[in-house]
Amino acid sequence: MKNSQLYKGSLNTIIMKLLEEQHRMYGYEITQKVKEITKGELNITEGALYPALHKLEAEGLLDVEVEKVDNRLRKYYKLTEKGTTETVNRLAELEEFIKNMQTIVNPKLSY
Amino acid sequence: MKLTAENIKFIDNYLKNSEVIYYDIRIEMLDHVATAIEQKMQTENLDFYDAFKSYMVVNKKEILKGNKFWSVYSKDTILNFLKFLMHPVMIMTGLSFYFFYENIEITNYFSESFTIRNLFFVVMMILAFFQLIYFHLILKQRFFVLEKLGGLLAIIYYLQMFFMNQHEDETPSIITLTLFSYVMIAYLLYFIKEVYKFNTYKKQFVL
Repeated sequence: MKNSQLYKGSLNTIIMKLLEEQHRMYGYEITQKVKEITKGELNITEGALYPALHKLEAEGLLDVEVEKVDNRLRKYYKLTEKGTTETVNRLAELEEFIKNMQTIVNPKLSY
Repeated sequence: MKLTAENIKFIDNYLKNSEVIYYDIRIEMLDHVATAIEQKMQTENLDFYDAFKSYMVVNKKEILKGNKFWSVYSKDTILNFLKFLMHPVMIMTGLSFYFFYENIEITNYFSESFTIRNLFFVVMMILAFFQLIYFHLILKQRFFVLEKLGGLLAIIYYLQMFFMNQHEDETPSIITLTLFSYVMIAYLLYFIKEVYKFNTYKKQFVL
């Protein structure tokens, strides 16, 4: 992941935001969607994505559906009810964080 | 371009040989690799083996990182079990054990050659042996979602070794006995609950 230290803390929120919009997604699809939205700037690696997905699943924020697709099984993730509520909270938290960072990085000087 | 059943088998074997032993983790990696290869074959006009080689050269390390992450001593499993211990029914069971040990002189039911410590050890060994048979002989495939429960049993075993065997010549205190009876019954019920949940989960993993 590009500049991983900065993005790391927001990975779960990114995943939840995508699932909120797309209803359900599988791992590879998530990596590609993030790449597409950020025009290749943000690349979520497999080593970071799957542990995050499984952690969210264990916390009861994601639900899993397995389907047979082209000779193999595919695991789809979707938000649970708890996950949907949590997404709203985490997005609000992230927005607040971005706002605070902007104030620190680019303070408006008042005379 | 879609991969054939043979191509899928090839990737599955490759992952198996790379020590991705758990079936539930492997099928997800398999789908990830297969989808990436399909895309590579299409965009770069490669055949399966060339696309596979080219993908693995770059991504193998990252893909297999997802395998190393797993440990049977998972924090989430421990937290879920602790939550289960706090369930009102379980608390009531714990209290019943306390009153039982307080009112019954349990040493009367044991001898010097078979103490209550030995009983705890035997119960634990039976549980471990049953799990081993269930995981390896009955299920045939290894599932991380279930085997991580073995980590819990190992932790209980170490705690039991530490707390129950401190004073070899004395019977463990009522509190210690209550605690371990409670934890072991809870583990047994938790295991049954998880196996029940797993059977629904497993049905999804059939090709």
